[in-house]
Amino acid sequence: MRHLAAKLLAALLVLLITLPFALLLLLSLTRHWHYPALWPQVWQADQWLVFGDEWRDLAALALRSVLLAAAVALLATTSGFFTSHAIALQGHARHWLALALLPFAVPPVVYALCLGQGFAALDLSGHYGGVVLAQWPFAYAYAVLLNHAYWTRHNLALHELAMSLGARPGQIWWRVHLPLARGMLGICLFQTALMSWFDFALVRMVGGGRVETLTLRVFDYLGAGDLRQAAAAALLLITPPALALLINPYLLIPAPLWRAQT
Amino acid sequence: MTASVAQAWLSVHGLAKAYGDTPVFAALDLSLDQGQTLAIIGVSGCGKTTLLRILAGLARADSGSVFIDGSDMTEATSQARGAVYLYQEPLLFPHLDVFENIAFGLRLRSLPRAVIDDQVEAMLAALELASFARRRPDSLSGGQRQRVAFGRALAIKPALLLLDEPFSNLDPQARASMQQLCKRLTRQHHSSVVFVTHDLKEALIMGDGFGRLSQGRYHAYKDRAAFCADAASGVQAELAFWRDGAAGLPPRDS
Repeated sequence: MRHLAAKLLAALLVLLITLPFALLLLLSLTRHWHYPALWPQVWQADQWLVFGDEWRDLAALALRSVLLAAAVALLATTSGFFTSHAIALQGHARHWLALALLPFAVPPVVYALCLGQGFAALDLSGHYGGVVLAQWPFAYAYAVLLNHAYWTRHNLALHELAMSLGARPGQIWWRVHLPLARGMLGICLFQTALMSWFDFALVRMVGGGRVETLTLRVFDYLGAGDLRQAAAAALLLITPPALALLINPYLLIPAPLWRAQT
Repeated sequence: MTASVAQAWLSVHGLAKAYGDTPVFAALDLSLDQGQTLAIIGVSGCGKTTLLRILAGLARADSGSVFIDGSDMTEATSQARGAVYLYQEPLLFPHLDVFENIAFGLRLRSLPRAVIDDQVEAMLAALELASFARRRPDSLSGGQRQRVAFGRALAIKPALLLLDEPFSNLDPQARASMQQLCKRLTRQHHSSVVFVTHDLKEALIMGDGFGRLSQGRYHAYKDRAAFCADAASGVQAELAFWRDGAAGLPPRDS
């Protein structure tokens, strides 16, 4: 009985997770599907082939979005890891961690409005670099909070031990912390990349229409009322994170839980 | 024996350290000759670990100076001192096996692979851990872990070895075995050793010179006899305990 309940629960979870994917796929394969019909009235299987140039454009956009997300993730994870070490070394960790929560108290759209003037003055608006800089504080704060869990007394002692054995700073990071924190850094890279990947407000406000991402394109399609194209682009939007999760499901588990399981 | 502070291989002058308003020690002078072992006793919390961390370059003193082999190392980094600090807990790199733990310091120095292999294998043999070379740290006993930590420290032939109650967590048999191994290997490598402990017997076994850290003050003993004769060292009380115990008398209040 208990096994059956567990199986049912697992099936329900799988259904909940895959339902949006199925729905998007369905939407992208239909022509007419209007309320109150429960099922599409007209199928259009060749919809995916009709895209043509649009697909090439979407693929290029996806690549640019991946590069943008990768830049934000790399910058935020690296700076967050070093910052969390610095915080762990001094005595007021709680205050610094409270500060790291501040970016999440400001809605991105308000933050983008605040940044707008400054970025325009510095000629950072309308550039990918400007968008990276605008997205970085949120991803950085998240990385600081996540990586703080790594700096236990034991890992700080390992840092000192390596120093005592003659390791230079670069050697300590490369030979000790990188292998030990590999799993957690992977989670951090993934999560911060997602923050950039799905961001709308900052890209719209700081990008000023000259920086385009896949997420923005989905919203544009929706704004234009083109539900089928929006569904197809949304499928492309969720494919990279879904693939990453398929390869390594631990990418969604917070560091302390991840460590507890290994 | 400990030399005079001015001419010793390791000499510490006027060292002082406080955490906030709480002084740990002040005006601490200490000396050690090359290849000798200085055993420092003191109760828990008297500043022994802080002293070793300062000598290792892992903590900063508020004032004072540290000279090693005639060079002022007060501001030198941990890497530049050639001093290895061995923790009370047998701290091993959990992502490396026994062989790689011992090889860690050698690999940092970019030695040829064959040289590293030879030196690590020799160290494993000396530690009687050859058959454990590919074991992970979490599959070792406390004594084995401490042996690996000790071998890793000695593998890089440190000029100064700083041992912070390294055997305090071991059972009596493993502890005695490690004490002998430690003496043998540090002599083989001509390492100078500062060994802190709160165990009098261990201090007498390990030390060539003796010191006592108490209430923020360091007292250096002229020789072993002076250490044993001083009531404050606790040796006399310990002797009385065993003498009375052997005679069937109840322990005295002291």
